[in-house]
Amino acid sequence: MSAALPALHSGLAVERLGKIFPRRDASVIAVENVSFQVEPRQVCILLGPSGCGKSTVLRMIAGLEHPSSGHINLNGNPVTGPARERGMVFQGYTSFPWLTVRENVAYGLRINGDVNAMREGTVDYYLDRVGLSRFADAWPHQLSGGMRQRVALARALATSPQLLLMDEPFGALDAETRWQMQELLLSVIRKERMTVVMVTHDVEEALLLGDQIVFLSSHPGRVRTILHPPFKADDAICTREALRSHPDYAGMERDILAMMHEEGSRH
Amino acid sequence: MLQPVVPTPAPEPTVAPAVALVSERQSPAAASPVKRRWLEFKQPVSTRSKVLLGIAAWLLFLLGWHLAATSGGEANPLFPSPVSVSDALWNLFAERGFHSDVLASLQRILISFGLAVVVAVPLGILMGAFPAIEAFFSPLVSAFRYLPAPAFIPLLLMWLGTGDTQKIALLMLGVIWFLVTLICDTVKQTPVDFIETSRTLGGSRRSILWTVVVPSSLPGIVDTCRQMLAVSWTYLVIAEIVAATDGIGAMMMRARRFVHVDDIMAGILIIGALGLLCDLAFRGVYWLMFPYLRRR
Repeated sequence: MSAALPALHSGLAVERLGKIFPRRDASVIAVENVSFQVEPRQVCILLGPSGCGKSTVLRMIAGLEHPSSGHINLNGNPVTGPARERGMVFQGYTSFPWLTVRENVAYGLRINGDVNAMREGTVDYYLDRVGLSRFADAWPHQLSGGMRQRVALARALATSPQLLLMDEPFGALDAETRWQMQELLLSVIRKERMTVVMVTHDVEEALLLGDQIVFLSSHPGRVRTILHPPFKADDAICTREALRSHPDYAGMERDILAMMHEEGSRH
Repeated sequence: MLQPVVPTPAPEPTVAPAVALVSERQSPAAASPVKRRWLEFKQPVSTRSKVLLGIAAWLLFLLGWHLAATSGGEANPLFPSPVSVSDALWNLFAERGFHSDVLASLQRILISFGLAVVVAVPLGILMGAFPAIEAFFSPLVSAFRYLPAPAFIPLLLMWLGTGDTQKIALLMLGVIWFLVTLICDTVKQTPVDFIETSRTLGGSRRSILWTVVVPSSLPGIVDTCRQMLAVSWTYLVIAEIVAATDGIGAMMMRARRFVHVDDIMAGILIIGALGLLCDLAFRGVYWLMFPYLRRR
């Protein structure tokens, strides 16, 4: 089957992906015929109304769910299950409460056999990247929600994944913290030149961070349109204010919100 | 219209300290309208009041006991006062070598509970972690949980004789099924996000078990052990009633033959005190093992 694919050897290729959840009375088609590609060092946002299956697509890319049809290739290799090359940040707080911040960040390295994870500079480097050096020895429960998500981000980055997956990582945060985190994430992604697939329903977040927005329609999740906002490629835009004052921003936001509204009322 | 408003803020800085002083002086008076009652939902009690209330309950209990025991005029041998029980306790330790009975009982509890933990903890963890293992063991364990341990005494006597082995086996049977089920339930509470996080970081089944499932459920497991050790103490007397020559329970059965009610009560007191000490020891272990759960 993979020979039939276009010869794409780097980046992520999602081909005619489908997911059916079997139920006793009637099976639910969550995702149908979803295809898109993500070039290396690009950020792809999966955007859509709730119930459009965007998290299911992300979980299939992570290898946590098996596709019912279609396939996923990362850098030429088919995805068959979870692996450290595809690190993930979840919406809920997943910092392990029994480990300090530093041990949490070192966790991925440690379970992959790197017993010297602490002594080498990797952990400290990523702690510094997310601005948590001062809290390296704190317990997660002593941190705010935004700080815990920064721990999760540093932990996912520390194993140097080829692809970073994020499932509404800032969905549980208050508005002010969310903006700070979006700006921090933007600077980290640019600096580390990460390839990212991120699920969100926040239009502003999608426009700030995405090179590509895959807009999914709901029930079942299908690709409605793919947009290419210009803002993330422009290094001058690194804050919310700069994004909002860009002449193209208001129009794009209006169009996407109109699509969201249409999808939301369509059943 | 605005003019009268503008000058008023100007003199405020000079007035402010006076206002602060006045409000400080008035604060007790200002606080008094808020009714502070003894019984209030979720109202925390200070450590000092907690200790005082705890001591008060014991003093009232001992006073009530003393009054009830001495009200009849002459001392009733079937209902001794706390004073004669404490005399009996002193006498037991000082003259009748009671410490060897206490040590025998303590040894039985510790060995039987240790063996139960060694079996139940790994089994409970595997059952909680893997539904297939749970599906295999659960019907068996659940059924055994409803069989009363003392019902096995005749069998154990025939199989294991009248020695320590039989008593240790009985004490083990009393707690092991509950330990397995409770530990399995605790392990099942491991958040699925934790497991999936570890999988996306490259965790194998073995490393997820050791670095996520076990540390995540360990506080619950230690707490379950603490509570089941208390149950183990409640089985002690039953284990030592039958064919025992030493132990706290055996002493109490000997005392019953000679109607030494004060000795029986002293035995009950010692079991209570030892149980409390075990509980405190477990709390200490919990505090040492889980620094991240302190002072939440």
